[in-house]
Amino acid sequence: MKLKKFLLRYYPPGVILLYEQQGQQYQRTLDLLDLRPGTDVEALVAQIMQSEPLLTENRRKHLRGLILKLVEKQKEQEQNRREFVLLRVLRAHVLPLTNCAFNKSGSMFITGSYDRTCKVWSTATGEELHTLEGHKNVVYAIAFNNPFGDKIVTGSFDKTCKLWDANTGALHYTLRGHQTEIVCVSFSPQSDLIATGSMENTAKLWDVEYGTERGTLYGHSAEIVSLHFNAQGNLMVTGSFDHDSRIWDTRTGTCVHRLQGHTGEVSSTQFNYGGDLCVSGSIDRTTRVWDVRMGKCLSVKQGHTDEVLDVCFDSAGTNFVSASADGTARVYSTRTGACLDTYVGHTGEVSKVSFNPQGTSVITASSDKTCRVWDVSSASSQGGGGGGGGEGGRCSQVLEGHTDEIFSCAFNYEGDHIITGSKDNTCRIWKASS
Amino acid sequence: MGLLSLLRKLKRTEGEARILVLGLDNAGKTTVLKKLSDDDISTITPTQGFNIKSLNHDGFKLNVWDIGGQKAIRPYWRNYFEQTDAMVYVIDSADRKRIEETGLELADLLEEDKLSGVPVIVLANKQDLVTALSPDEVADGLNLYSIRDRPWQIQACSAKTGEGLQDGMEWLVKQVRPTKK
Repeated sequence: MKLKKFLLRYYPPGVILLYEQQGQQYQRTLDLLDLRPGTDVEALVAQIMQSEPLLTENRRKHLRGLILKLVEKQKEQEQNRREFVLLRVLRAHVLPLTNCAFNKSGSMFITGSYDRTCKVWSTATGEELHTLEGHKNVVYAIAFNNPFGDKIVTGSFDKTCKLWDANTGALHYTLRGHQTEIVCVSFSPQSDLIATGSMENTAKLWDVEYGTERGTLYGHSAEIVSLHFNAQGNLMVTGSFDHDSRIWDTRTGTCVHRLQGHTGEVSSTQFNYGGDLCVSGSIDRTTRVWDVRMGKCLSVKQGHTDEVLDVCFDSAGTNFVSASADGTARVYSTRTGACLDTYVGHTGEVSKVSFNPQGTSVITASSDKTCRVWDVSSASSQGGGGGGGGEGGRCSQVLEGHTDEIFSCAFNYEGDHIITGSKDNTCRIWKASS
Repeated sequence: MGLLSLLRKLKRTEGEARILVLGLDNAGKTTVLKKLSDDDISTITPTQGFNIKSLNHDGFKLNVWDIGGQKAIRPYWRNYFEQTDAMVYVIDSADRKRIEETGLELADLLEEDKLSGVPVIVLANKQDLVTALSPDEVADGLNLYSIRDRPWQIQACSAKTGEGLQDGMEWLVKQVRPTKK
């Protein structure tokens, strides 16, 4: 075994080791999910050196340098909370937008619409790069195969799913097999599989290379509206209107666990980065955290006074956030389960929520025609008395301008651009002021 | 409302009906919808996409989809055909020049597979205007009497004053409501 190269990963923090063994290239990832601006770097380096046989003594200096870089990046984030300004309004579609998504570098993003197209945009110039045409009904669910970003998948109410070349806009495959509307899609992180969820109670797995069906996931008894792969790509979680979530083995297509407990439709599900936990939000007004290995519910969060419409973890899995029809969002510490922040201010339902990749901000999209950006209280500042209790939650900005409700929003990987997609047929690009 | 509620409205639910409101631009579809739900009708702009309202009629829930009628977006009407229980077709009775155009659009709709057998009520709207055609004239202009494959009805109304709307709704609910035991 010989170490060939280090790669740095900022979000979530980690160092990737590329090494050679008997002429073959492999890689191993050192996840540093607990890295904070105040982390004792020397102690961390010593600990890694001890546990990682690939790292010989002469690599110590290099490793220290990389970790210092990661720490610097974290400090940068803490200090730089910047204002977002409207960069561009794109008269994107002739009918309302559905979802929007960035590629990993943030150079491009895509928008889906009721006008049956998906469009590919340049973030910097706002130029329309490609229109992906061919669907015969609403393009509802869309995704890039991040981190690669060379493919796009679109799921439509026309019951098909299409795989496209992100750079040329050419159609690779049309995936046929579902009997009803496709409402959620995802690439596996390795980009070898596509998962689709439909209104007919099934999810399907498809082979990216050949465009063929790999299998159907049977078990849910109602619409599947959410699905996510874990970071390893070996498991998937689905959320359904049958009140359950299910965990599936993506290799065999079998259901590993049925996560029972919600008393209303599940609206959203996601794994944490480590893949040991998943979170689900429900119309029953609660959010549940589940142990993935055991398939057991670890905790029920009951703070919302109306339906929970969206949930997600931050990129390292440190915190998670829930968005509700009660007009608020709530951030919880994954470790302690404590509610760190409650974001109050929207005058309508909050239907979408996500963290920036750094985990320092949250964006919420609402039917009140605005998005809001919020500061996440760090768990450490919570511990120091005074704060805590989850009452606070500062709104750092209101993104105003859309003339109808906002259906979708996303941060790019750097966290310095936001896109918002609205029922008003437009998409807006917001850029952090420098 | 959010995307999730769009999905929830897409599924067929017992005790609820899905109503599609179509017609040319400026026929008054959104005004009809707003008037029925007692919303303010003073500031209505052309619908670029769609509006959805849930109306309660005597304990029965109607999910009403009002779809924009401008020429450029009429080809997308089909997006909304799935699971339709009844259709409301709104006519600007004072727009004599476009009676033929609206008749052709309606004829196309009546030939749609996914809308086959779906009851249709034609609202001869804007009866408050003196130049409005009478419901009989509208029915003639649209060749309604040749419809044989579904229940249909013509109803004179004014979305502005609200006159005729309740009568129309009652006919509609009768068509879609499961018969009581």
